[in-house]
Amino acid sequence: MTLHRYIIRRVLLLIPMLIGITLLSFILSHSIPADPIATNLGDRAAADPTIVAAFKHRWGLDQPLYKQYLVYLWNLIHGDMGTSISTRQPVLLDLRQHLPATIEIAVAALCLSLLAGIPLGMLAAVNRERPIDQAARLTSLIGVSTPSFWLGLIAIVVFYDRLGWAPAPARLSADLTPPPFLTGFLPVDAIASGRWDAALDWLRHLILPAVVLSAYSLGIVTRMMRGSMLEVLGEEYIRTARAKGVTRWAVTVRHTARNALIPIITMVGLSFGGLLSGAVVTETVFTWPGLGLYAFSSATSLDFPAIMGTGIIVASVYVIVNLVVDVAYAFSDPRIRVG
Amino acid sequence: MAALSAAEPTTPPDGTAVRRPTKRRRRLLPRQLTGSPLALLALGVVAAWIVVAFFAPALAPYGPLAQSITGRLEPPNSAHWLGTDPLGRDIFSRILYGARLSIPVGMIAVALAVVLGTIVGGSAGFLGGTADEAIMRATDLMLAFPTVILALVITAALGSGIRNAVIAIMIAWWPSYARLVRGIVLSLRDREYVMAAQALGGSRLRIFLRHVLPGTISPVIILGTLDVGHAILTFASLSFLGLGPPPQIPEWGSMIASGRNYLDQWWIGTFPGLAILTLVLAFNILGDGLRDLLDPRYSSR
Repeated sequence: MTLHRYIIRRVLLLIPMLIGITLLSFILSHSIPADPIATNLGDRAAADPTIVAAFKHRWGLDQPLYKQYLVYLWNLIHGDMGTSISTRQPVLLDLRQHLPATIEIAVAALCLSLLAGIPLGMLAAVNRERPIDQAARLTSLIGVSTPSFWLGLIAIVVFYDRLGWAPAPARLSADLTPPPFLTGFLPVDAIASGRWDAALDWLRHLILPAVVLSAYSLGIVTRMMRGSMLEVLGEEYIRTARAKGVTRWAVTVRHTARNALIPIITMVGLSFGGLLSGAVVTETVFTWPGLGLYAFSSATSLDFPAIMGTGIIVASVYVIVNLVVDVAYAFSDPRIRVG
Repeated sequence: MAALSAAEPTTPPDGTAVRRPTKRRRRLLPRQLTGSPLALLALGVVAAWIVVAFFAPALAPYGPLAQSITGRLEPPNSAHWLGTDPLGRDIFSRILYGARLSIPVGMIAVALAVVLGTIVGGSAGFLGGTADEAIMRATDLMLAFPTVILALVITAALGSGIRNAVIAIMIAWWPSYARLVRGIVLSLRDREYVMAAQALGGSRLRIFLRHVLPGTISPVIILGTLDVGHAILTFASLSFLGLGPPPQIPEWGSMIASGRNYLDQWWIGTFPGLAILTLVLAFNILGDGLRDLLDPRYSSR
């Protein structure tokens, strides 16, 4: 199969996947035995049958489930995800406001873990079975074993409470007027409106949560890179390069690392789900107003439209990121047989 | 399981990585576990925590619920080795009792996910064709939802509590086992001994149950064991978010959560976190060694 046919096929496969995601989000948020009336109306309102009926009618809760789903799908196609029960805002607007914040820390954490993990994995592979390798292995194991909420708490105690180096947990200092909402990405909005103070303040707030969130993916990147390096180091062309007298550095970096990086591309896509999971916890600890915090508050208040919207967005982002990654993978390595 | 699948995306989907004679595994297992001091240490740590879980009432100097109005928020001292919490409860005792909850919860959650994943993945591999395709697409769909978000929605909806947290972890995790089991089933299906059984006239179901399915057991159990640490971590995260057991029950995640409001009393959150870290790290170190056995690509060449 040629490359562009592969891409077309993958994009077409995306459609049933996205429909499946909406269906699953719907089932998850509706078939569970929970009562949105009890959680969203007060005790007195819930005792009043007319208020309850009005509430049910407003959210379509009085219709059969499959109809509710079709109505939801129809509205979704028209860019309407319903209104959040707790914020009383359109869910799409809520997501629009929260998603950028999550992308900010997820991307920052991903960059940190790649920057540290790739060299660490290379070092470990080149010094295989030596102390450096053992240390790198232990580091990566500690990375995946540390509870991120605990690490976040320790970071806050040490760097904010004790040393005073870090600002109070938030996305922006409370006494700073946020820049006007353009893209939703704070640094972009701040710089676009000439608010360098806000951009700098954002960066100071970003460091701790990003470092905490990166711990887990750092562990995975390091181990992946090590394994991938070892695999390439065993190839015959590496032996040929060595026999030709290519320097050790050139063999490691130019011949091995460049090819070993290819599987890391896939890893970036797969670890994105882990990053989003980690973001839920990290955002709660650092009161970072992202999708994780939104998912948490809407899940605990049984805000069905918000839960569904979050589920759909998060899963779609994951699926699309992985599609892009797979295509990039097929492009970067002609040896890969797609089909 | 999330960590594992993320760490090995290059593993061929047909499960060739686990296609290794069992004989070799038996010979290597003792050497791998006894050969590395780190693995031995990890084994010791896990064993110690299991002992703690069994004998917590005998080992703990105080009851896990014993409050003391006068002894609130005491820093670590000779009476309270790890200090006391906002209700004057002994943190050391509560950590010991916490092991009684976290270890079985981690094991049960993984065991349930393994069973469900084996049933689903096994059926997909057995049925093949359209049914296989449909089952695996549904599995992929589940995998598109980040674990914690999925677990969050499930626990929030079912209500918080230990049982619901376990159900949530199970629902979020079974798809990775389903994939694994299906991969192994597909790789075993065309083996010669299976063909031999077919030639002898065994029915499809009989061959599947007697000859194919048993082949999945040992890799699945080994991989499940490594996931216990990860399950303990996920359970602690859910508890931290307030979706685990009620607050009076000693649980490490919720103990850390209670430390959030007392930044100056660092001991409240720090020590339960160390408990999680040591136990999960030990599980992961053990798992790391075991995985080398299962995946020849990482083992000595």
